[in-house]
Amino acid sequence: MDIFLQQLVNGLTIGSLYALVALGYTMVYGVMKLINFAHGDLVALSAFVGLTVYTQIFGEGVSSLIAIIVVFVFTAAIIAFVGVLLERLAYRPLRTAPRLSAVVSALGAGLVIQNTIMLMWGPNMKIFPSNLFPQTLWDFGGVVMTFTQVMILGLSSVLMVALFLFINKTKMGTAIRATAIDQDAAKLMGINVNRIIMVIFIIGSALGAVAGLFIGIYYRGITFDMGWLYGLNAFVAAIMGGIGNIPGAMLGGLMLGLFNAMITGYISTQWAETFTFILLIVILIFRPTGILGEKVAEKV
Amino acid sequence: MSNINFNKNSVMAIGVLLVMGIFPLFVDSAWLAIGTTFLVFAVVAFSQDIILGRAGVFHMGHAMFFGLGAYTTAVLNVHFGWPILATWAPAVLVPLVVALLLAGPIIHLRGDYLLVATIGFNIIFIQVLQNNIFGITGGPNGIFGIDVVRVFGVELFEQTHMYYMAFILLGITLFIMKNLDQSKFGRAMFYINKDDVAAQSMGISIRYYKLYAFALGAGIAGAAGSMFAVQYSAVSPEAFDVISSIMFFTIVLVGGSASLPGVLLGTFVMFVLPEVFREFETARYLVFGLAMILTMILRPRGIWPVKFGNIPAFLKKDVK
Repeated sequence: MDIFLQQLVNGLTIGSLYALVALGYTMVYGVMKLINFAHGDLVALSAFVGLTVYTQIFGEGVSSLIAIIVVFVFTAAIIAFVGVLLERLAYRPLRTAPRLSAVVSALGAGLVIQNTIMLMWGPNMKIFPSNLFPQTLWDFGGVVMTFTQVMILGLSSVLMVALFLFINKTKMGTAIRATAIDQDAAKLMGINVNRIIMVIFIIGSALGAVAGLFIGIYYRGITFDMGWLYGLNAFVAAIMGGIGNIPGAMLGGLMLGLFNAMITGYISTQWAETFTFILLIVILIFRPTGILGEKVAEKV
Repeated sequence: MSNINFNKNSVMAIGVLLVMGIFPLFVDSAWLAIGTTFLVFAVVAFSQDIILGRAGVFHMGHAMFFGLGAYTTAVLNVHFGWPILATWAPAVLVPLVVALLLAGPIIHLRGDYLLVATIGFNIIFIQVLQNNIFGITGGPNGIFGIDVVRVFGVELFEQTHMYYMAFILLGITLFIMKNLDQSKFGRAMFYINKDDVAAQSMGISIRYYKLYAFALGAGIAGAAGSMFAVQYSAVSPEAFDVISSIMFFTIVLVGGSASLPGVLLGTFVMFVLPEVFREFETARYLVFGLAMILTMILRPRGIWPVKFGNIPAFLKKDVK
């Protein structure tokens, strides 16, 4: 039972990280019908940028609320800017091109970001300082919860609720939903589609940046090519939930995190990815457009 | 045959084939090996094109079928002592059957869902190889000491032999690809690609033809895998991982899907050029990524796109 509860905590933690990254995939897909393969590498970039921001501004060993806020806000802003730049340079010229051309462009952009990280920070693993967050941990009768885990669960829930309200209750959110349903009609109704896409990339990249920082703080070791692994898992989560669907990405992320934790806790780590993809394929056989995905024809 | 006309394209095709044919006479062994691998990868790229370019199935796990062919040859030869020649048929059949079994339940999925499902198959395949299932795949190290091809007691062990075997394989593949356009399969594929709803209402079974494409593509990739295993006399999982799948996927789209010269050019650009620029070790892939973005922006349908889609010649006659 202890293992179960412990894996539940761990699973929810990693699941919220997947959900944050999956939101970036699903929002871009919802509006542009594009799989943004560079998103995972943005997440990796965020961990490195955050590391540099922290060590340059505060120096290692400083732990204060201000340091945490500055690192998160500053990094998220930089990554959001990179995300907007990415859309401008690599995706906007291809908006009317065949869909797969934009996918190749996204793969190319991923390579560019990955190798930029490698050239700037070196090919070896970097270790994130352990003291940005206090090393407090709580023991609930055998189940250990660290301060970092509490922060991850807390902040990601807040962000997800905020995003949900933003999409469903604000004027901008309504415009985003309208653009996702029909870009041309949205344009005719006076919605500035370019601006909507910019907002999507700002939000998606910033959420990815938060996830990237948490990955650095939680796992400590960061490598230039780790974006692929987290990106793929998050992408799978988005697909499981139904890509393009925002609650679906949240559900898919949490589900995948829990499933992964249970597999590694009870069965084996060697076969973790195999089980992940078997789960995905089984879900897709029964729900061809994901758990919360709607049944829409691709081409009418 | 009076209707063979020597237009610009066929002259160029013959020129390219001639250059490839005499290539081994002028290069050292390192470049000969690169040339052989280029031919093998071109075959895989063509087989990817059958699935991705012609059938329009978003398939990003093709390295798996390439790997299945390679591992079939390796396992049968090293563990069971079959001569290489005898492993050729299984190396084609095993990927073909696996492709049918795996693609069958998911072929109806929408594009992007299918894409991630095929990535999934590839990742599962790599994990099966690495965990050394049944103790025959050799784990992360793979399998060493694969035999050379022996025909009537003659050992084909030199690099030049390898090159010409791969060259013949590419020739056979090109012959199949050329005939596809004129076949019932090619016409159905073209129709489905243009408008699948109309095709379906004309009685063309989309499911049947997409699976047909998967089986054919997987079989050809398996043959290339067998050649690959013989060339390096070893196989290991990382040659067949998702990164390789992404490379084959990109080759087709950068070159030009459903275009024979395009896919050949794509293989050259994506595989040979990085080898040429090996000295610029670190910045190489940065430039490579930029080039991928630029190519797509400047030529969204690939460097050498196919003209008129792939309308068979007998239909184009009336258009002129």
